[in-house]
Amino acid sequence: MEGTKNIIKKELTRVFTDKKLVISLFILPGVLIMVMYSIMGGLISDLEKDIEAHIPSVYIQNAPENLETTIDALDYIADITYLNLADSTDYIKDGILKGDVDLLVVFDEEFTGTIQSYKEIGDPIPEIRTFYNPSEDYSNAARNNFTATVLYTYQQSLLAERLGNIEQLQVFYIDRDPDAGVIVDESKASGKFLAMLLPFLINIMLFQGAMGLGMDSITGEKERGTLASMLLSPIKRSEIVFGKLVSLGILTSISAVIYTISVVIGIQRLGGGSMGMMTSIKFTPLQIVQLFVMLIVLVYLYVAMVALVAVYARTQKEAGTYVTPLYILVMLGSIMTMFSSGGDKAIQYYAIPIYNGSIAMQDLLVGELSMLNFGVTVGTLALIALLITTLITKAFNSERVMFNA
Amino acid sequence: MIKIKELTKIYKLTKKQMMEKKTKKNMMKAVDNLSLRAKSGEIYGLLGPNGAGKTTALRCTATLLKPTNGEISVMGYDTVKDSEDVRKRIGFLTNEIKLDPQFSPKYMFSFFGRLHGLDDKTIEERREKLFDYFGIKDFEDKKIDELSSGMKQKASIAVSLVHNPEVIIFDEPTNGLDIVTARSVTDYLRLLRDEGKTVIISTHIMTEAEKLCDRIGIIINGVLVMEGTLSEILEETKTKDLEDAFFELYKKHSKEEE
Repeated sequence: MEGTKNIIKKELTRVFTDKKLVISLFILPGVLIMVMYSIMGGLISDLEKDIEAHIPSVYIQNAPENLETTIDALDYIADITYLNLADSTDYIKDGILKGDVDLLVVFDEEFTGTIQSYKEIGDPIPEIRTFYNPSEDYSNAARNNFTATVLYTYQQSLLAERLGNIEQLQVFYIDRDPDAGVIVDESKASGKFLAMLLPFLINIMLFQGAMGLGMDSITGEKERGTLASMLLSPIKRSEIVFGKLVSLGILTSISAVIYTISVVIGIQRLGGGSMGMMTSIKFTPLQIVQLFVMLIVLVYLYVAMVALVAVYARTQKEAGTYVTPLYILVMLGSIMTMFSSGGDKAIQYYAIPIYNGSIAMQDLLVGELSMLNFGVTVGTLALIALLITTLITKAFNSERVMFNA
Repeated sequence: MIKIKELTKIYKLTKKQMMEKKTKKNMMKAVDNLSLRAKSGEIYGLLGPNGAGKTTALRCTATLLKPTNGEISVMGYDTVKDSEDVRKRIGFLTNEIKLDPQFSPKYMFSFFGRLHGLDDKTIEERREKLFDYFGIKDFEDKKIDELSSGMKQKASIAVSLVHNPEVIIFDEPTNGLDIVTARSVTDYLRLLRDEGKTVIISTHIMTEAEKLCDRIGIIINGVLVMEGTLSEILEETKTKDLEDAFFELYKKHSKEEE
């Protein structure tokens, strides 16, 4: 294994002594991910602030006399125009469509009279109709705010008038202190949220890292004629392959860690608060070992997949074309966890390569990964990885693949 | 000692290669029933035009390609069955195999030394000797990418000799080199021969073959058409120099081929 050790050392030296490579592989993507999420977070926050600062333009037709008093008593800010029943509302609706007006509220004819003449069940109940544009953020917010703030309060005041004492409507309370009744495993709850997101992110980041490095390390070396010089040394081809794969695995893991940290920091800036959730997840020593083993096997598998494609490609451009379907396959396999919750899956699902890595990771995050499922997952992934390694070694022994002969 | 016995190498062509070569055959015989012996303490020169099969024959000898038919042994080891043993004993150089441009000649020398199982002290001693001879010391720490083609070739030669091989297989070693660098390379090959090593080179430079090689094999269309010392070849072809002899043989065997 001395040859493998020397190749690993050389590959790591090659990357870490090249400033441009370090910047382009590790630093730049990490910074870009953080910047991207920060910009997205900033834009979302600006949008929320903008909606909050916007004074909605509200038209109210046939408003009851006491509505204005209710509005004045509330902390409700809007540019309100009151209309008579006979006034046309067409130009207002047109304004809502164009985004110039945010909300039109229409009270039924004889609104107050109908309410006052209500005696028993079956008597007519008047309607308040709201006209707004759901595709316009201002209009949507104006409608929600008006309904929750003005109309709810107004309804309560009318009920109080009708019944004399509104408290009589209250038969029982449900959770006056909602927080006191919550019984939750913080770790599991946080894990459940992250379990939807993290397997996908980890898989994608690992594969991206393997892609960036693997194609240069194998196809690039083949293209430059530097791989052949290694084939002339008196070591087994399998030692060269193993050396390449292990070094790529180490580099991919480093890049995946950097990318994942960048994503987590980025999401935090986006306002998701995932960092807090991360810290509330608690793993048992067994789970940590399981996660570690699973990540090692996954890294090796992805590196081997990329290496297999890279070794058959004649140019890096060709390798890039070949690796794209594999990337889509990995995305497909890992995106499914975003639409399902952990646990409760038949054992055969844990034998589907790539997908099994995602669901096992998901189960682990919610604390529902059984030893059997873990074993099947790791076993399948390791078997596939070994099979691919054998194919790569065969390719390294093939003069047609290595020398286009 | 190198023994090549009835070596035939056939390449299977892809459709693209068939189109490029304008042929309907999906097989190409690069080397046809070639037999030769290169002895210890001699420089054997394989002379032939481009595409004659020189590089293929040398690549088979260096274990990079497997013969379709025939056998090759290097210092008694079979190139197919004992390929690792063969690789331990050869120093191979060809234009298509390069050193990693990101590293310095010094790093590459140590790296390949370690791959050959040498200890640090031996690597240091070998580096001192070879870098000094080829004048590599001045640029030993520079990235290979930043070196001139002559400097790169010198570094490649030194690296190929890191393990002090008993057999030296150099494919067109002076190709593209200036006269001074080319001279240092040929002088070193003479030195290696005088140390009792087996040296086999391919070349299409007639004067180089005349001056350097103890025996010459002329290869045309994959076939070894003549072999011998310079005087034997000149006598056989009834010509005055190697260039005339080569053209005489080339005309004759091209016609036969047609």
